[in-house]
Amino acid sequence: MKKIILSAFAGLALSSAAMADYPTKDIQGIIQWGAGGSTDTVMRSVSPHAEEVLGTDIILTNRTGGVGAIATKYVNAKQADGYTLLMGAENPQMYKVLGLADIDYSDMIPVNVLARGIPLLVAQNDAPFDTMQEMIDYIKANPGAVKVGSTGKGGLASIVMAMIQSEVDLDVTTVPYNGDGPALTALQGGAIDVMPAVLGAAVQHVKAGRMKAIALVDKESNPVVPDTAPIVDALPGLSTYLPYGPFFGVFVKQGTPDDVVAKLSEAFSVGAESEDFQNLMQSRGYGVMNLSGDAAVDFLENYRSVSSWLVHDAGFAKHSPEEFDIPRP
Amino acid sequence: MSSLPHRYPGERLFSFCLIVFSIFIFWRAYLISGFSELSSPGAVPMGASAVMVLAACIAFAQSLKTPAVEGARFFYHCFPVVVGVMMAFIVLYAVLLEQLGFLVTSALFLFITLKALYGRSSLWTLGLTLGALLVIYVIFRLIFQIILPEGIIPEREILANLSRLFGGA
Amino acid sequence: MDSLSYFALSWMSPELLALTALGTFLGIYVGAIPGLSVTMAVSILISFTFSWDVNHALCLMVGIFMGGVYGGSRTAILLNIPGAPSAIATALDGYPLAKQGLAGEAIGLSTVMSVIGGFVGILVLALAAPTISEFAITFQPRDYLMLAILGITLVGSLSTGSLAKGMFAGALGVLVGTVGLDPLTAEERFTFGVIELWDGINVIAAMIGLFGVSEALHQLHHLDKTIIKQKINRIIPPWADVRRYLPLSIQSSFIGVIIGALPGTGGDIAALMAYDQAKRSTKNPKVPFGKGAKEGLIAPEAANNAAVGGAYIPMLTLGIPGDAVTAVFIGALFIHGLNPGPLLLVEQPHMFWFTVGNLTLANIFVLIFGLTGIRIFSKIVECPKAVMIPLILLLSIVGAYAINNSVVDVWWMLAFGVLGYFMRLYNYPVGPVILGLILSKLMDENWRRAILSERGDMGSFFANLFTSPLSCVLLAAILFAFFSQTPIWQRWLKPKLLSR
Repeated sequence: MKKIILSAFAGLALSSAAMADYPTKDIQGIIQWGAGGSTDTVMRSVSPHAEEVLGTDIILTNRTGGVGAIATKYVNAKQADGYTLLMGAENPQMYKVLGLADIDYSDMIPVNVLARGIPLLVAQNDAPFDTMQEMIDYIKANPGAVKVGSTGKGGLASIVMAMIQSEVDLDVTTVPYNGDGPALTALQGGAIDVMPAVLGAAVQHVKAGRMKAIALVDKESNPVVPDTAPIVDALPGLSTYLPYGPFFGVFVKQGTPDDVVAKLSEAFSVGAESEDFQNLMQSRGYGVMNLSGDAAVDFLENYRSVSSWLVHDAGFAKHSPEEFDIPRP
Repeated sequence: MSSLPHRYPGERLFSFCLIVFSIFIFWRAYLISGFSELSSPGAVPMGASAVMVLAACIAFAQSLKTPAVEGARFFYHCFPVVVGVMMAFIVLYAVLLEQLGFLVTSALFLFITLKALYGRSSLWTLGLTLGALLVIYVIFRLIFQIILPEGIIPEREILANLSRLFGGA
Repeated sequence: MDSLSYFALSWMSPELLALTALGTFLGIYVGAIPGLSVTMAVSILISFTFSWDVNHALCLMVGIFMGGVYGGSRTAILLNIPGAPSAIATALDGYPLAKQGLAGEAIGLSTVMSVIGGFVGILVLALAAPTISEFAITFQPRDYLMLAILGITLVGSLSTGSLAKGMFAGALGVLVGTVGLDPLTAEERFTFGVIELWDGINVIAAMIGLFGVSEALHQLHHLDKTIIKQKINRIIPPWADVRRYLPLSIQSSFIGVIIGALPGTGGDIAALMAYDQAKRSTKNPKVPFGKGAKEGLIAPEAANNAAVGGAYIPMLTLGIPGDAVTAVFIGALFIHGLNPGPLLLVEQPHMFWFTVGNLTLANIFVLIFGLTGIRIFSKIVECPKAVMIPLILLLSIVGAYAINNSVVDVWWMLAFGVLGYFMRLYNYPVGPVILGLILSKLMDENWRRAILSERGDMGSFFANLFTSPLSCVLLAAILFAFFSQTPIWQRWLKPKLLSR
């Protein structure tokens, strides 16, 4: 009996000691998206800095599939010890209303919300409009003639279009693509006319004059594209939804000890502040956020409520946001 | 794969199974979106499964005409016991992989199959098993950092301790 | 003059030279092991080389890319297990050569032809990159659809016996490719409510099963068979051979460059199309295709290495990836503070010539590493089967697991292994399954995109088809591909036209 108690104490002492000098072994980082994607790039550039602070290796693994749901479920199936990190994008915030999974970031602890992208509406050079208002007028005069690229229901493009449609009724032909990269290529080849894409993905093409920027889907204009007017100039009603955009963040399972989360948050915060990372984000047109704790939770909640209600009102949600107590923005 | 027509026992049954499978798949493809639109998600699956049904029927009809290979027995020429046993071993491997971990499962798999197929001494087999495992582990886990299931051996702790020992840090 | 100095940059610095060599050497092994892909290796290197100078990092990655595409042929020839989908066509004639004891000669020939293909690709990249990339992006959804249909006609060349069996296999591949969440509408297809099926069935898992596992299981029949002694006295192909096959390898290389430069298609499709083209245009092969024809080995190898240069064309000029690997390269350039995009050529002109020079260097290392060590490699075939089979099976399992770090892919590999075992037994060709799987997404997505952009109006679909010169050319190619498989062409026209 004595022996058992002793060994139990020894075990306890060992585990608390292990907590104190976390990390004692390699950390596994699970990336929701494939190699070469923007999530992958962001995580692979921030991790080396976090590794230095933590003094251990972060082994990055791409576990794709199910719009990121497979990676999310995988991390939640592991122990809540901070040795398995989820490195993801915005997608899980839509899982519940789209009926893809019953888990989202509100069921996890955010370590750090690293950066946010700004959507930009671009058009091919031959398109007979240059501003948001001209585009609306042209579409109204020629119903169905304008082809708009999309990345599937629930993708960024579909949500931006849903925002616009909530203000003006537009008859466009939607052509789906497998991500904004292929869609922007198709735009240059003339297969589609208009595409709502992330600023970072389109900015180089705009600067080179291969496509033109119609409107920035934000409240204010951005120094990266100073000549492009924000969309609220033409459609002031959109300001209730903005600012809006895809984001990248690192998460751990609910129940991870606070000191572990704090240590991780600090490490990734150092990574987000590093010069390399700041330069990378700026060149790709992303805004560094570096949010942790309550600030991160608030940001995530707002994102979830805006996108959930937009897809619900546009009619392609499987479940109402009310079912999950998601408040209206 | 010679082009001479010949038929092993079981080909008719196999071709018939393919027909049944194709029809089942065609039905599943129809359920995706029916005959609604040419651009519906179910269009290409339905087209492909229709071709499968057609081709499987032709192949079955052809197999009725081809003469059988003389003296061929199914469990001797087509599906010897050793093939079935090997398939079972792979299934077992996949089941145990996540529980026992990569190192233990692979060592067992290699040792048993090598011993059974090659029949050298246990020591020789064990040596080959460990050597092969070491090479695979170094390539996959250490060089390309692919995390293989750990199972019952706490690899990450061992590696961390090892690197502390050698790294001095 | 400037461009020349940038071109030679990686040749002059001993460090860069060594890194390129190391990359190429590693790449050959990455390519040869099924389940380890070049894409995976390059993305691991991104975090590994994070703090390095950009040129150092690029040298290592370019080496891996070049070596990896070549390396896939090794295991295809020696074990009938293609290291990557782009080496499937190589196995069709390479493995029969190894069975005849000619593995050394086959590897030597494939090395030389890969290098020639690589040089053609680099040359086209250096001379015509802007023109080709402007051409490549004008491909409309309907043109990609045509390309996919053209690819599907390859089923004819990949089926050795009954065409019906080949068609079944091809259609099965297309169908398997549609499993999962539809990328365009997120509709579930054949998922039966299983979340692991959302992402579909991995093509590498299917390939390892159909080729690796089913081959190993078949070998169990011949455990007692005497081992084939490999003749390894002739490894470097004689000059006469190289000269004889040079026109074919250059023709295949051009197919490779163009297919490689198209965003959305890569070396795998290029290699299969080149194989088909070789089979169609070779008048009298010494050995029939599928039984160890050297033409069938040369064409895919030249094409898939030429596709490397091709894939760089849209990447360096427009910032558009030509394939999966160049997509990772774009990420790497961003991390190192460069802006790969249409302005790269203007802002960083040295990047272009540096890459061209580095690719050339890596290609030379492929030649060096490819031709050395063949003796040891050929010995693999001489190992007792009873030792080889368990090792191949274990490597297949680990390879399948490594694709996505998931046991699900191991199950698929096993299922396709068993299916492949019976398909081979009853003379169903397995090649068309992979062909269908590779082309499935291209066909499905572009068919629907083409229809959706016309709002479902078939009339305007055909009107646009016949008014676009590019679409008309592709349509003519498809019609010719069908026609050339009819008896009229095979018996009557082909001998007449080609004898001149």
